Amino acid sequence: MALAEASAPRPGLARPPLGILLALLWIALMLFLAVFGDFVAPQEFTAMDLMARLSPPFTEGHWLGTDELGRDVLSRLIASIRVSLIIAFGATLISAALGTTLGFLAAHFRGWVEQAVLMLADFQAAMPFLILALAVLAFFGNDLTLLVLLMGLYGWERYARIARGLAISAGAQGYASAVRQLGGTPRRVYLRHILPNIASTLIVSMTLVFPEVILLESGLSFLGLGVQPPMTSLGNMVGYGREYITRAPWILLSPAVVIVLTTLAVSSLGDWLRDRLDPTTR
Amino acid sequence: MTPLLEAEGLARVYASRRGVFGRPVAVRAVDHVSLRLGRGETLGVVGESGSGKSTAGRLLLGFEAPDEGEARFDGAAMPPPGSPEWRRLRARMQMIYQDPLGALDRRLTVAAQVKEPLDIHGIGAPEDRAARAAELLAATGLSARIGARRPHELSGGQRQRAVIARALATRPDLLVCDEPVSALDVSIQAQVVNLLSDLQAELGLAMIFISHDLRVVRQISARVAVMYLGRIVEEGAADDIFARPVHPYTKALVSAAPAPGKTGKRILLEGEPPNPAARPSGCAFHPRCAVAVPRCRAEVPSLADLGAGRRAACHLVAPLSGQEAA
Amino acid sequence: MLRFLAVRFGRALLTVALVVTFAFVVLRLSGDPATLILGPEVPPEAIRAFRESWGLDEPLWRQYFSYFGAIASGDLGNSMRDGRPALELVADRIPATLALTVPALLLKIGIGIPAGVYAAMHRGGPIDRTVMLVAVAGFTVPSFVLGLVLVMVFSVQLGWLPSGGRDTWLHAVLPIVTMGVGGAAILARFTRSAMIEVLGQPYIRTASAKGVPWGAVIRGHALPNAAIPTVTIVGFMVGSLIAGAVVVESVFSWPGVGRLLVVAVSNRDLAVVQTILLLVAATMVTANLIVDLLYGALDPRMRRGAGQGAH
Repeated sequence: MALAEASAPRPGLARPPLGILLALLWIALMLFLAVFGDFVAPQEFTAMDLMARLSPPFTEGHWLGTDELGRDVLSRLIASIRVSLIIAFGATLISAALGTTLGFLAAHFRGWVEQAVLMLADFQAAMPFLILALAVLAFFGNDLTLLVLLMGLYGWERYARIARGLAISAGAQGYASAVRQLGGTPRRVYLRHILPNIASTLIVSMTLVFPEVILLESGLSFLGLGVQPPMTSLGNMVGYGREYITRAPWILLSPAVVIVLTTLAVSSLGDWLRDRLDPTTR
Repeated sequence: MTPLLEAEGLARVYASRRGVFGRPVAVRAVDHVSLRLGRGETLGVVGESGSGKSTAGRLLLGFEAPDEGEARFDGAAMPPPGSPEWRRLRARMQMIYQDPLGALDRRLTVAAQVKEPLDIHGIGAPEDRAARAAELLAATGLSARIGARRPHELSGGQRQRAVIARALATRPDLLVCDEPVSALDVSIQAQVVNLLSDLQAELGLAMIFISHDLRVVRQISARVAVMYLGRIVEEGAADDIFARPVHPYTKALVSAAPAPGKTGKRILLEGEPPNPAARPSGCAFHPRCAVAVPRCRAEVPSLADLGAGRRAACHLVAPLSGQEAA
Repeated sequence: MLRFLAVRFGRALLTVALVVTFAFVVLRLSGDPATLILGPEVPPEAIRAFRESWGLDEPLWRQYFSYFGAIASGDLGNSMRDGRPALELVADRIPATLALTVPALLLKIGIGIPAGVYAAMHRGGPIDRTVMLVAVAGFTVPSFVLGLVLVMVFSVQLGWLPSGGRDTWLHAVLPIVTMGVGGAAILARFTRSAMIEVLGQPYIRTASAKGVPWGAVIRGHALPNAAIPTVTIVGFMVGSLIAGAVVVESVFSWPGVGRLLVVAVSNRDLAVVQTILLLVAATMVTANLIVDLLYGALDPRMRRGAGQGAH
């Protein structure tokens, strides 16, 4: 919704170039599949057809072929898109909410709270997230909720830095301090005034973090440490399809293509939005 | 009767570094500022940039806590900034800013922002607040159509009117205006000053009017305080000060300000403009003062009562009554 | 300079302490460390001994400090699977990981930096456009997809190179290329933008206006200044070598630290996971420290500024 609003033609905004239109089209298709996948998918994604195992693409009834258990690759792909997108969406929202909150806290309290947030942010930015994620999964075992929460820790430091910086500059002399001086509570200042004003910058950051979360989730699932069967995700399909790389490469190729195109589409959209709407970030 | 606002020996000290690795130097942006303001009174605060007049305004409103001294509002000490009592007190004291565009949220309509203080302080029934906001806009000369616009769609004068309407929403007792017209076109300045003056008289507001521009201050203030490098150097009734300035700095300011039918030569200020980080010893004005004597370099003059409501901080000025007796 | 070093070193230690704290907190939240670290089939005496040596009966804050003590003395617990000390197990795998990551790093630097410099000096040219395009691909194509595509082409279709294992040097080619290509593209993009920024600076224009030959301007002024942001990225790459190896080693069944980590995580072999976590933190911190020192060498302003602060 936010994306649609931001990309709607506005005065002063040139028409998006062809590449961005294609990216939007692809994102729309992915969202459509994630929402209405059940109505579109030719079959149940777990339905096995042992007679038609490892059928190549363009077989009748199995446009993208079948896997080692005769399950329809297209149906599994749609189910995977849904799971991967839900995880990436949930994680991006969690991380944006967490980071923005911490950034606001740092801006509001300054002093040691700010130092602590900045130190954690430095740490998070420096430590390879994959390793931290793997450690947590090892200690706690695997579970979808945990996975989403864990992914939700990815990238929070970027929102925190942005939110802190913008909140400090808004509070220094602008509208935010005026509302404070009217007697507004910090809650009102941050949620009703600062947040709407920095929302476009945060949304741009979300479109840049989102593809990274997709890559992270697919990487973990590829390693067998992310989404667990019988549930399926894009990385998961590539991981299991690897066993059949010589006999049935289509099993892993179609999810791989979806991963690459989706990250490409969302990140080019994010770059474009950043250049258009928000010259302040980088 | 207790005065509405009373300040006793206010001081604000900032640590300032010279260069990245320099030793921090204590800068007294505001020093020994004492004043009183009764209900419905108007006080102009005049000074160059760096005189500490804006900081003094913020201390008087309690936006920041002073490092020394105390400000009392309606007989009670100022609560710490950000505390619930402090927030409640905001309904009674408001500020008009130099940059109205910066003081308004660019994403909300003007009417919504004028209504906001009513929401914050829970004044009136929620369904009546929009009508009250429209009333306030009308009182400052803005139509409902303008109220439906966002700040960047307004002219500078209209924005400042909106800020004034917002500040008056809670019917405050005190209004502090910090250079309210210096960012506006000269043609608009008089209109906004007149509006403030009319509203002040109509609502019986106490008002502190901070400006570097003597003409504007004179137009609106009954009393005037002149600040130089953080201290009040002269204070008195506006007409009196303009007619008979006693402090050499005030004399220079008054002579520089154009006035109808004024003759006499202008006194030019020489030397470095005041820098709060390098405050001269003794009387801070002595390096630029034409009549300075050795004592001015050594000893800080205190703000002495000259009688007839005049105060001045200068070694060379004797009490008015004493002068007459001699 | 001394103070500069001390601050950086202090920060590095703080980061390691944060990682240890992270491990301690996660370990505590996940259950009884004795059974978690030692495994369920350990005799009760061993558990008791472990509890005593790690001080598990003591108050939490003391445990926290004993945990630091144990780690400082190299006691990282034993692997749940074969009972060997986790440190030994991890150390055994390090050469295999280095055999991939060091050549891959050289590949990234050897291709990425020259390509970025060249692209910046010939903006809009074919090389520039290729670099930008490959850089986008380097970001959007995950390494496991790239690795599998390379396997399909070079192992399955052409049959030139083996698809997995570690028997001959040929086995290392595909994993090194997989690791190197994406990183080279990212490095090229960074170098390019750093160079472009430096080339736009007034002192470059002044130098070339004064008649200094263009090649000398590039070598004497542009490259050293563009090196500063580039060094940061290279430092980050060195710091995240092991993280990058996790996926690629798994794709190619390469018996390195990354593969060990994946296996340890699926078996919940916590002592091993914890050891690798600390190894990664140590690598990262060391890399950052070296980068900081290089900054001092590359940017005399920073050194002088810090020197002034000390006096």
